[in-house]
Amino acid sequence: MKARIFFLLIVPALLAQAGCATVQPWEKGKLAKPEMTFGGDKLETRYADHIYTSREAASGGAGVGGGGCGCN
Amino acid sequence: MVDAVVRFPFDAMASRCEVRLAAPDGHAAEELALAAIAEVRRIERTYSRYRADSIVSRINAAAGRYSVECDAETAQLLDYADHLHRASGGLFDITSGVLRRAWDFRQPRVPHARELAPLLALVDWPAVQREDGAVFLPRTGMEIDFGGFGKEYAADRACALLQERGVRHGYVNLGGDMRFIGPQPDGRLWSIGIQDPRKADGTVASIAVSQGALTTSGDYERFFDVDGKRYCHVLNPRTGMPVSHWRSVSVLAPLAVLGGSVSTIAMLKEDGGLSFLAASGLAYFAIDGTGQAHHHSISGDYAS
Amino acid sequence: MTTSRQPPQDLAASLLAAALLLPGVQALADEPPQGGSISLRYLDYADRQSGLDRIRAHSPSIAVTAPVASDWSIEGTLTADDVSGASPRYHTAVSGASHMQDERKAGDIAVTRYFRRGTLTAGAAYSTEHDYVSRALSLNGTVSSEDNNTTWAFGIAGSRDRIDPVNHVVVDEHKRTLSILAGVTRVLTPNDIGQLTLTRTNGDGYLNDPYKLFDNRPRSRRQNTVLLRWNHFVDSTGGTSRLSYRYYSDSFRIRAHTLSGEYVQPLGGGWSIVPELRLYTQSAAYFYYDPVYDGTLGPPFPPGFASAEPNRLSSPDQRLSGFGAVTAGLKVQREIGKLWTVDVKVEGYEQRGNWRLFHDGSPGLAPLHARIFQVGLTRRW
Repeated sequence: MKARIFFLLIVPALLAQAGCATVQPWEKGKLAKPEMTFGGDKLETRYADHIYTSREAASGGAGVGGGGCGCN
Repeated sequence: MVDAVVRFPFDAMASRCEVRLAAPDGHAAEELALAAIAEVRRIERTYSRYRADSIVSRINAAAGRYSVECDAETAQLLDYADHLHRASGGLFDITSGVLRRAWDFRQPRVPHARELAPLLALVDWPAVQREDGAVFLPRTGMEIDFGGFGKEYAADRACALLQERGVRHGYVNLGGDMRFIGPQPDGRLWSIGIQDPRKADGTVASIAVSQGALTTSGDYERFFDVDGKRYCHVLNPRTGMPVSHWRSVSVLAPLAVLGGSVSTIAMLKEDGGLSFLAASGLAYFAIDGTGQAHHHSISGDYAS
Repeated sequence: MTTSRQPPQDLAASLLAAALLLPGVQALADEPPQGGSISLRYLDYADRQSGLDRIRAHSPSIAVTAPVASDWSIEGTLTADDVSGASPRYHTAVSGASHMQDERKAGDIAVTRYFRRGTLTAGAAYSTEHDYVSRALSLNGTVSSEDNNTTWAFGIAGSRDRIDPVNHVVVDEHKRTLSILAGVTRVLTPNDIGQLTLTRTNGDGYLNDPYKLFDNRPRSRRQNTVLLRWNHFVDSTGGTSRLSYRYYSDSFRIRAHTLSGEYVQPLGGGWSIVPELRLYTQSAAYFYYDPVYDGTLGPPFPPGFASAEPNRLSSPDQRLSGFGAVTAGLKVQREIGKLWTVDVKVEGYEQRGNWRLFHDGSPGLAPLHARIFQVGLTRRW
């Protein structure tokens, strides 16, 4: 349990520090490509979340606020 | 809205220039481009050595005699030149334009030390007095000029004007010094070729850019070759002789004026150029006298 | 050789600062999305178990995004699910499976305000079907660092559901959830971006599946997730790898790992191909019982039923058993001109008890197979 809390605190700290050299604005061209963002196609992600929530026990992860259903 | 990109070529600052931007329709594009071109011409007129009524000409004409009042824009440009002088260890000196009187790049003649000596005595930025918004060149014959970053400054001003008017895609290219407003309308980056210093229509690399500036200093803009040695227009202010270590230095920076300054200083520093480029924190692509490329953090494709 | 006497960071900062003092020049600022879009998508889902078709779903949906004024945008979606088929009343029992046919309509709307260094989004969602109504509200915000390389995300959401099963096992039951989210996204290199997201959901109320026999779950459920994502652009191919790992744990004592990856490869001419693979494994809920039935009463009674206390927790729901699952899929996408995108996606999914990783899965359940087909069309404006 303690190890888990430690892990949860350390990883965000590492992520915040990671990337030794600051990426300059004009180097971010590739990051602007849609496939490099974390959004993805909204409807496609919805369908995937809905299917997996109705066939598996785990749910959520990337966002909150979707609402529920009586998925069978 | 995904608009078409329109090109507006024009000549200014003794170079081929171009404004490229995306706008809702041809009329809007033309209006915007003309406004940007007008700003470039304004800076050219204001800071031109060749126009008697420009502030630069008036300051130079008063050398050794009296001080001249500057407006805020000129004062800030002089502050910036001063900063560059210190940052470059004295190599970037806007009073070094007088050396042009010995170097005429239209004929392949290397000037004698006798000819350079009196001119070198006039190259002395630390001697220039600036006080209360007025500038005084202490010795007759001294000159200042903003050729070292004037084009780049104009590119930044033109882009700022376009940005203020809502342009989100396009760039301003003044003789190879480019400032980008944003990527192409469909989100793809602009693919820009870095010129091969020894082949007028060849490129050595291409870089994908969406924002910021890409500026290049090179030994191929004004030069002559004698006995296999190249003499270019970038002159060391202490010796009066051209630098020879780098064939070209291209820099990616958030502002063209910053990139242009850094690429020029890197050329001036010769073999100290790489550590200066590293210290500047900017991405660069430099080709040395043997034709070898040195680069850092440039995202894009390389063609050899 | 002359070298700069200033330390490196000072030189860089001083040059930029000096340049920025020049009149009328400005470095670029980020701005909210310029264009809107409208998307249509259609899903066709079908699963099978023990050689028999089970659930079939057809689901068309529409999503619209539009910028409003200069600092706002609004997004809305509408979905209609047409679900039919047979769901086992316990485990994977073929006979006596409850046949159902239902149409679910759902809609949601979100309004986002863009600030200089962040965003704030308020959302509402509504979903209704014969026996289940769900209402949800959410508030999400992001804050970015000055250099835009780090973005912190926060979110809070709540839902209230009403359950009225057609078999009247219960009447007018309720379920409430409250979720919170915290995350950070970080630009690591010009080719890499990473994200870590933590969520916590508390659910209270009626959590049973009313259509399953002997399904009696706790009236509260606490769920935690940790999600790590990494997108990497491959210069040599122009493709992008998108990897993610999610760890899930909840108060039903279910632990799940999800590892998924997809690779977006542009092919030229506006085409791209995206293969994907997802691996999933979960442990069983502590009150799940295997298809081993009471010696005297036989199926579907759990062992020791007669002597057990009446409110004992139990569930024969396959979704709460221990299993592993694999999804493999392929999407083909075409960008037509600057405004249109069309894509087709095909996936196969299989779930098996003995595919559970690291431990034994729940025994005695037939594998579940699903095939998923999607087609989508988007127009930007």
